[in-house]
Amino acid sequence: MSAMGYAYFYLCATFAILGAIATVAAKNPIRGAMGLLLLILSIAGLFLALHAQFLAAIQLIVYAGAIVVLFLFVIMLLGPSASTPSDHRGRITRVAGAGLFAAAGLGAMALLVGSAPKSTIGPTGYPSPTGDFGSVDAFGRILFSQGLVPFELSSALLMVAIVGAVAVARGRHKSDPGAISGAATLEAENVPHAGQAPRTAGGITREAP
Amino acid sequence: MALAFILSPLLVIGAGALLLMLAEAFGPKHNRAAGLALGCTIVFGAGFAFSVGAWLYGVDDVADRALVAPWLVIDHFSLFFDGLLCLGGAIAALLAGGYLREHEMERGEFYSLLLFSTVGAMMVASAGDALIVFLGLETMSLGAYALTAFRRTSPRSAEGALKYFLLGSFAAAMLLYGFALLYGATGHTDLAGIGEAVRAGGPQQTMIIIALVLVLTGLVFKVSAVPFHMWAPDAYEGAPTPATTYMAAVVKAGAFAMLLRVMLTCFTEKGLMSWSAGWPPVLAWIAVLTMTVANLVAGQQESVKRMLAYSSVAHAGYLLVGVVATVHSVPEATSSVLFYLLTYTVSTAGAFGALILCGRKGAEAVTYEDLAGIGRRHPPAALAFSLFLVSLAGIPPTAGFFGKWFVFRAAMDSGFYLLTIVAFVNSVIGAYYYLRVLVFMYMREPAAGAPVATPMKSGYVAAALILSAVLVLILGIVPSQSLDVAIKAASIFGPPGG
Repeated sequence: MSAMGYAYFYLCATFAILGAIATVAAKNPIRGAMGLLLLILSIAGLFLALHAQFLAAIQLIVYAGAIVVLFLFVIMLLGPSASTPSDHRGRITRVAGAGLFAAAGLGAMALLVGSAPKSTIGPTGYPSPTGDFGSVDAFGRILFSQGLVPFELSSALLMVAIVGAVAVARGRHKSDPGAISGAATLEAENVPHAGQAPRTAGGITREAP
Repeated sequence: MALAFILSPLLVIGAGALLLMLAEAFGPKHNRAAGLALGCTIVFGAGFAFSVGAWLYGVDDVADRALVAPWLVIDHFSLFFDGLLCLGGAIAALLAGGYLREHEMERGEFYSLLLFSTVGAMMVASAGDALIVFLGLETMSLGAYALTAFRRTSPRSAEGALKYFLLGSFAAAMLLYGFALLYGATGHTDLAGIGEAVRAGGPQQTMIIIALVLVLTGLVFKVSAVPFHMWAPDAYEGAPTPATTYMAAVVKAGAFAMLLRVMLTCFTEKGLMSWSAGWPPVLAWIAVLTMTVANLVAGQQESVKRMLAYSSVAHAGYLLVGVVATVHSVPEATSSVLFYLLTYTVSTAGAFGALILCGRKGAEAVTYEDLAGIGRRHPPAALAFSLFLVSLAGIPPTAGFFGKWFVFRAAMDSGFYLLTIVAFVNSVIGAYYYLRVLVFMYMREPAAGAPVATPMKSGYVAAALILSAVLVLILGIVPSQSLDVAIKAASIFGPPGG
């Protein structure tokens, strides 16, 4: 890799780590979301360096474009009152937990780096990417020929995610039309179902989505 | 055509799930949910029938298998699990037909989720590639998360689902990280290729071991072994009972299919399987911890459902003993695990079903006291409950006895005497809390004025219980045929005696 390549890699990597730290350390949720955005942009940059242009574009569109925006919507929707409750665990527990986790991670990394001669770290044994590697064209060809089976099977994953989201979010029973907010839902557990409507077909109401 | 035939269990369940969704949306409004339960059971039954058909037809010499390789590996192991998962799913669907109506939660999504989640479990069982393992695992788990949260008005359900979701996603991420490292170390994502590269050795040993740690963590979390079991009691207790049945039977079977497939395909290198430096001692300690902790905690529960949840964790421990025994005799030990899964599925599904039958809306059977005297008030429910608990405790002539017998014998044959003794002592401890339910049902009377559970009446639940009870008795009295099936399924990991 050229010196320019190293500089680019370290630039992206530094921003990625800074973004990750900001995501977990920020007290303000908006700043946390912005840290996540920085992380996602830096990783897209790393993908570009790996000849994975399509992946980089998808990373920007899906994560930066959709997911971070969704996070921001939710944060705005909940408003400033929805701050995280203060952590009631003791300082020692928290520091010890973080330390243990960091030690295990760094230990594994040190083991990995120390175990092998430098030249074998990284994908040295693999063929270098050819001309159109990572392009939309090459990606599409592989996805719809070699990768057809996992591509088709992932439709089951998307389907179960949609149905699951609908099952969790929808389907108020006719018997408790008032229970909409979270607090009302919590109360509904203790209150006997007032005025039980005669059982309709499946107890399913057709409400506007 | 042959391709459609060998994939038929997966296709039938997937197509059935889509049809059921259409029926839910456009079907006649009258009595729709009851029809959905029946439809769901029929789809599971069809899946089971197609698994048996493909099994009898034989899949080894079907040339079209190559078309889906290496993504999906259709062999007797995967067909065994297809049948087992469909059986567990069918019992859960039947229980849901009774339970959801009684508790007024009838919504069609429940059945679609059951079916789609089973598609994921089948993908896991027949996965030949790390990508499919992950896709299947997520499909299975997302369905299970949603099923746990299905009781929308209950904070318990939400709490259990949230814990399950967060911890489950974390474990899946660990598994994925492990697979990524394996890809980095070996250059393969297909399990067979990874296995070959691992056996060939090379300078990437350390990376492989770190990947092994991560993969094993993810897998062991999914089978809910101690110390990764924290989510299980809350999720099992919070979920509606048919969903609990489904998680205890189908999701657990899928997780064990994944554990066996990944470990016995990828990590069979001698150094990694050795007793001094490999994964078996780690798994043996996890098994010991799982059995001991789960049995001791289960004995202290006041809620019967929570006790059954801990019992399900304990059974994961017995199953892990069988997985550890694969070190010395792969086919024998694997077949014992498969047979145990079969007996465990019918016993635990039956036990949860009997618990459903003992309660009615507003008068549910929760604690031991609720069950006091139910042997006199409702003999059929109590009799069914007793049969399944006796089977879970491993007392002959029920299925659980032979399940434990074969696993313990496999462990003894492999020379794990101490592990077998621990497992045996644990099954004696386990008998205490199973038989305690029997004591309450038959020998106690409820205190005057105390709330008691009122048994419900439901043809669906009765059908599920009769199905499980017949299987428990058949497996407990004439286990040889089913054992032969398990041995044939396990033979893909090498010839018997090898």
